[in-house]
Amino acid sequence: MFRYICKRIVYLLITLLIILTTTFFLMKKLPGTPFDSERFSLLPPEQQTQMLEKYGLNDPVIVQYGKYILNVAKGDFGTSFFYSGQPVSGVILGRIGPSALIGLQAILIGLSIGLILGIIAAWRHNSGIDYFTMVIAVLGVSVPNFVAAALLQYFIGLKWGILPVAFWESWKCSILPSVALSFSVTAMIARFMRTEMLDVLEQDYIVTAKAKGLNQFKVLMRHAVRNSIIPVVTILGPIVVNLLTGSLAVENIYSIPGIGSLFVDSIKTNDYSTIMGITVFYSSFYIFVMLVVDVLYSVIDPRIRLASNGKGD
Amino acid sequence: MKKSKLLALVLAAATILSTSGCGFTGSTGSTAASKTAQTADAGTKSNDTITVYDTNEIRTMVQWAASDTNSFTIMNNVSEGFYRLNASHEPEPALAKDCKISDDKLTYTFTLRDGLKWSNGTALTAKDFAFSWLKQMSADATNNYGFIMTDYIVNGAEYQAGKAKAEDVGVKAVDDKTLEVKLKQPTPYFVRLTTLPMFFPLNEEFVKSKGDKYGLDAGSMIYCGPYVLTAYDPASGSTLKKNDSYWDAANVKVPNVKVRIIKEQSTALNAYKAGELSRVILSSSDVPAMKSNPEFSSTNEFRTTYLQYNLTDKTLSNKNIRMALGYAIDRKTLAEAILADGSAPATGLIPNYMYGNGKQTFREINGEIDSFNASKAKEYWEKGVKELGGTPTISLLTEDDSVTKTVATYLQSEFKKNLGIDVKIDSKTKKARNQLMDDNKFQMAITAWGADYDDAMTYMDLWTNGTPYRGSYKSGTYNGLIADAKKQTDDEKRLQDMLTAEKTLVADDAVVSPLYYRGSAYLTKSNVKNLVTHPFGAPIEFKYASLS
Repeated sequence: MFRYICKRIVYLLITLLIILTTTFFLMKKLPGTPFDSERFSLLPPEQQTQMLEKYGLNDPVIVQYGKYILNVAKGDFGTSFFYSGQPVSGVILGRIGPSALIGLQAILIGLSIGLILGIIAAWRHNSGIDYFTMVIAVLGVSVPNFVAAALLQYFIGLKWGILPVAFWESWKCSILPSVALSFSVTAMIARFMRTEMLDVLEQDYIVTAKAKGLNQFKVLMRHAVRNSIIPVVTILGPIVVNLLTGSLAVENIYSIPGIGSLFVDSIKTNDYSTIMGITVFYSSFYIFVMLVVDVLYSVIDPRIRLASNGKGD
Repeated sequence: MKKSKLLALVLAAATILSTSGCGFTGSTGSTAASKTAQTADAGTKSNDTITVYDTNEIRTMVQWAASDTNSFTIMNNVSEGFYRLNASHEPEPALAKDCKISDDKLTYTFTLRDGLKWSNGTALTAKDFAFSWLKQMSADATNNYGFIMTDYIVNGAEYQAGKAKAEDVGVKAVDDKTLEVKLKQPTPYFVRLTTLPMFFPLNEEFVKSKGDKYGLDAGSMIYCGPYVLTAYDPASGSTLKKNDSYWDAANVKVPNVKVRIIKEQSTALNAYKAGELSRVILSSSDVPAMKSNPEFSSTNEFRTTYLQYNLTDKTLSNKNIRMALGYAIDRKTLAEAILADGSAPATGLIPNYMYGNGKQTFREINGEIDSFNASKAKEYWEKGVKELGGTPTISLLTEDDSVTKTVATYLQSEFKKNLGIDVKIDSKTKKARNQLMDDNKFQMAITAWGADYDDAMTYMDLWTNGTPYRGSYKSGTYNGLIADAKKQTDDEKRLQDMLTAEKTLVADDAVVSPLYYRGSAYLTKSNVKNLVTHPFGAPIEFKYASLS
């Protein structure tokens, strides 16, 4: 296991380098400079050169790339152009918290409701609750989260005044965005869990377990759920990354200072150092979560072996 | 077992996040009042706080790095220059007691009020102005606003280029209370310039003691304006508290101000209805329903949106074609029916209410030089087509935001209706549009300019450098007029130069076709009085506001 993880970390670094390189050169193809172009174009040419030199933007792209990679290796992500002078790491760190909190809460809500709905639907296959779950699943997948966010804001925030309309001033402010984001998670998890459970419930070992005289609950929890959960863990990886790294639409609707809007804005404003900083963060997080998911497989199902010890497997 | 461990881990992570890393900006959990919608008319929930919002982040609080209105707004309320705009947008002595102008109009002597103090108790002196102005003119300034001083102050440009020393620049602190400024040429609007954030003072000792950390949070700045910052986060907003050491504190009536960041129009409207905002800006679609609301009002900005023609393009180099396009646009319908957000139809390049001669505005004096006339449009078009030897194809470059796209579609329909031509719309991101214009790869484009200061020169100067962005317009007559206006000591003659220059640019040479002056329509809670919006610079002024 340890060797496997070390190997994966080496792969992680290589993948990261490839992503960084690609993003860097693509980003340099974006039109414009990080400066306000109308005002920048009014400057005398020598001053324009002075500005570009100040930020090293006059060097050939390959030199800029080399310098950047060296700085990143030293842990220096540079300073933001848009938030003039603020260190990129500080800007990003300040924005991860809100996105991660609502993402995590959305996953907890989605995972718990989704799993319960999925299990019950499979257990009571073709019953009212099964149909109800499927309706929820279809709605959850097909209604975009910003529509859910807007509706929740209008009814729960404005009309009934139960929770804050928007903003990021207390934990209460995080409830509505989390709920809005959780719909699609609930739907996806419920659907996957139901399908997988239906499959597992048909298996011989379930019949055996029942024949052994185990009660319904134990059969479900010990044998069925454990064997059905692998695909759910697989989709959980990308879901976790998506949610924890912020959702632009929901963040905007609830005026949450999250990382989703930072990423989009940094691209719009050619804030090179921030684009790169977020890319590093997103990709390393994604790769890391994938690693965790792989490790989780073997925890849930010991038959899955992570590393082959030599020949055959 | 393992599952419960995992759950414990997730819960622990959630707890850590919720207690530390998520940086909630408020101390109280303000739930929207339960009777929100019904009580909306009664005003904001708090009776000692004004809450407004910006649609973009507050990028920086570092004076020599700031170039956006959101940053300017905060700075203007926590700091102050020699002069400040009053409620009717006229400059009034602020930190300065008065300003003496020499007979040749080249030396300005500003005298500070007695007993001025920074919010940390340090005395505010003329040296603080000298330091800050030199900083703005130095290569350290990253806001590209150096020109606002170097264009006027003796040796400013040389200092910026590293060719002159600080002591050679025409800014001297004669003593603690007196700043002497030497100008290159008479500048009738120089006093008005000192109301802008670039001209606010900075305490050298404090700025240097903070180093790179200066301006990063509320604690790493000191203040001399009506308010002090108590919290500043670029992405979620700022909170301001009345500055008790401000010279005019007795006239600051609202104790607290909050500036939030709201990017979504519907969120702002919901927050306003829930009593979380004192004012909300309305989108065009909301205006008809709200127009009869007693809370409704609208303002005009010094910002002209115009059609820029590329004079090097084969088709658009034909003046008759440009005249035809200009005459073919019904600007009144565009502003009042299509945009319907408080915008006003353009009748010239210089927006309504901009300074003219003190009695009349520039626009009133120069009258309507840009108008809609379908039959003239047709006439010029036919002449142009004949000269070109065939009907040309024209494409219109625009930015891809919803307002500009609406404007572009309207123009397209006007050209179809009045000239019978199909203009192709090429919509691009702002950066890409600017790049195409800089690279001279466009025929005509919708673009806009917001005034830096209250004088027509803020517009007229733009067309003197002949860049592709300004249509590669190179005119001896026009440049001569502007050059003369810049050195003219007689205000009346200077004004005449500018009036003629505007006519040359818009009516005679048809280099641009002004379309509309941007406006905003908004609702303001009935308990909020005198929340002034300036048409340029730092728009929102809290100093004169009160709550009833």
